[in-house]
Amino acid sequence: MARWALVSGLQGDLDLYEAIQRDLRQLGRVDTLFVLGDLIGPDRDANALLHRLQLPRRGELQPQCLYGWWEDQLLAELGYRGERRADPLRQRFGQAAVEALQQAVDPGRMAWLAALQFGFIELDCALLHGSSADVGDRLGPDSSPLLLLDRLTRMDVNRLFTARSGKQFSVELSGGGIASAVRDLAGERQLQQVVPQRKVIGIGSGLRYTLYDPGSDRIAFRTVGQQAGSRGRGFA
Amino acid sequence: MAHAVISCLHANLAALEAVLADIDQLGIATITCLGDLVGYGPQPNEVVTLVRERAIPCCQGCWDEDIIEGLNSCECSYPSQLAERRGHLAHQWTADQLSETNKAFLASLPMTLRRDRLLFVHGSPNSQHEYLLPDMDAFAALERVHTADADTLFCGHTHRPYVRELRDGVIRVRVQTVSDQSAAIEREMPLSVRRIINAGSVGEPRHGNTHATYVVHDEATGSVEIRAVPYDLERTCRAIVEAGLPPVFAWRLRHGFEYAERADDASHVCER
Amino acid sequence: MSQILLLSGPPGCGKTSWILNQIQSHSGPSGYLRLAGYPDEGLAQARDGGIDRAFLLDQCPELLDLSDLDQALAPHPDCLLALIELPQFHPPAQAGLAGVDRRVMPQLQALHLTPDVHLHFGRDPELPQQDALDFSHLLGWSLNLNAAVWDPASLSSFWFELVNGAYGDVYRAKALMNLPDGRAFFCNWMVSQEGSQFLPLQTIAPPDGRPDRLSRLVVQGKDLDPAAIEATVADCVLSNAVLELQQAPLRQRHTQPTRSA
Repeated sequence: MARWALVSGLQGDLDLYEAIQRDLRQLGRVDTLFVLGDLIGPDRDANALLHRLQLPRRGELQPQCLYGWWEDQLLAELGYRGERRADPLRQRFGQAAVEALQQAVDPGRMAWLAALQFGFIELDCALLHGSSADVGDRLGPDSSPLLLLDRLTRMDVNRLFTARSGKQFSVELSGGGIASAVRDLAGERQLQQVVPQRKVIGIGSGLRYTLYDPGSDRIAFRTVGQQAGSRGRGFA
Repeated sequence: MAHAVISCLHANLAALEAVLADIDQLGIATITCLGDLVGYGPQPNEVVTLVRERAIPCCQGCWDEDIIEGLNSCECSYPSQLAERRGHLAHQWTADQLSETNKAFLASLPMTLRRDRLLFVHGSPNSQHEYLLPDMDAFAALERVHTADADTLFCGHTHRPYVRELRDGVIRVRVQTVSDQSAAIEREMPLSVRRIINAGSVGEPRHGNTHATYVVHDEATGSVEIRAVPYDLERTCRAIVEAGLPPVFAWRLRHGFEYAERADDASHVCER
Repeated sequence: MSQILLLSGPPGCGKTSWILNQIQSHSGPSGYLRLAGYPDEGLAQARDGGIDRAFLLDQCPELLDLSDLDQALAPHPDCLLALIELPQFHPPAQAGLAGVDRRVMPQLQALHLTPDVHLHFGRDPELPQQDALDFSHLLGWSLNLNAAVWDPASLSSFWFELVNGAYGDVYRAKALMNLPDGRAFFCNWMVSQEGSQFLPLQTIAPPDGRPDRLSRLVVQGKDLDPAAIEATVADCVLSNAVLELQQAPLRQRHTQPTRSA
């Protein structure tokens, strides 16, 4: 059965990426690698990593990449997002971070970054950096269940994988419902709706990543270097 | 105190005059308008001028925005190529007709208006282009009101008036984190009662007949009345033809069909 | 034993549907001929432009073309059911074969077709009783749409407007319309029947540019506004660029089997 590895927050760190690839080789049975954004960051030169993501070495899993919050900030600053600039980045980390981010990526790599997608839909799963509402949407274990349900509903999926918070978590919608009454010129009707059985999964960041088996719906949270053969802290 | 909420006037002067007369006759002094003052209809300047003269607070609709910002509706907001071509034609005609003063007025309109726990928007708090249809997913509908920190949300844009009350809501979740070695934690979120009130359309009704619609809300009692007002439809149809707009616009209005059919996807959000 | 049946009736009475049923329930070979009909007292016969024949041929690919002179001179196959359709507004003056419009005889003789039976819609009980419409001063109008490909949602809007009177009082509308995915639809509407028929043709064109087959709109009614119809049609049909945009992914799907999910 196919198994996915979901990774994020590499932030230009080729050594980290190679460690993850080694980890996946040792685990075996992983056939698809998704990188859910934040390939780049302000702290180190990202060109070597970007080169490798585009041209994998023999024996490595071919990564399928999305853009994340850091890519979105850089693309905005360089005019790829219309009028928008990297103001959120500037406000949070200052002008120096904006400049460092620009330093981290050669102009020749921008076309590839600009072509990255916002999200993937695989089977009944949405794979996103933030959420269906925004690339910067920080969903976590403490997020409002109403908000999580809304983000699932917008994509019409049963599983939403998100990376933005950096946390590894699973929030399963397990029950509940709502009543509504609609009145219009034709009359009034009552509607009853139950909470659908859906799940939001935080995949982690950097050394912490997630394995998912879509056949059995089994999730396993891993940390690179965790004892080989250990099944990680998984739960269905 | 009762107040009236009107929306989607679409440059239909006869319909607006009839609705304002109806409001006056009810003795209601407070009126709020949810945008789309212009678009498709034949009297954009007359309608904007009348709204300004009556000093009616308005939020900006998608048509008002497009007339100011230039045509930038995403293509997917039109349900067909035919609807898109007609929309573009109406846009161009309206932009050519509107005076600079009236354009400046439309440009000055805010996206939302708020009075205490009442929020007024054109489409949804997320976007002027989002349709909140009466049967859309109840949790998604409630999320729009909840996230906007309101109890009652007034919207338009769908051209069909309705009142929807969302109650007895609860969501239960099972949360598992890596740092927490213990078993999954169960949590429960009770949801407060919220209301969505759609004001329908004054100038381009689509509710089964041709009457102009709007709503009257009484804050003290919480009651909502959906009003349907007959107006001199033929006066507007003649004005459409005399203005040189496509005669099929008059035919559609006369039969209670929208000029361009609405997009049905309630979850669609324009990503521009 | 062969049978040659002449079938007449006003537009929209169900001639083609009845003929299709006969062909499909006949075990032997069938042939079809549509005669043009004659304008009667201010009633124009709409130029069918081959719509009925193209639709029947699509549904019954073995159907013999009785207008083909080569086939006319060959001996008729055993058990041939030959169906001849004649648009005719008014009931014949006389019963049975004596009531056949004499003007059609030279053409039938040239094709070696001598009707054994003549049935007229509204007169003969063998046929379904429908549509006793009073046809007076009808205008017939048709538009060649060969190579036109429709935006499907626009076709739906246009057809709705057309049959509901946005372009004049339409009594009858029928058409063969192409869609970008290679399908074509036989669209059929009659004032006396509820709703429109949209029947997909069996033949699917490859999604590779404009299909090379008959496409046509035929309308009968009063106070029609052909200029307004044509203006709307122009807003509904796809440009080369848009057609290519819609067909390119379909071509990929044709050549590469989809990844199994």
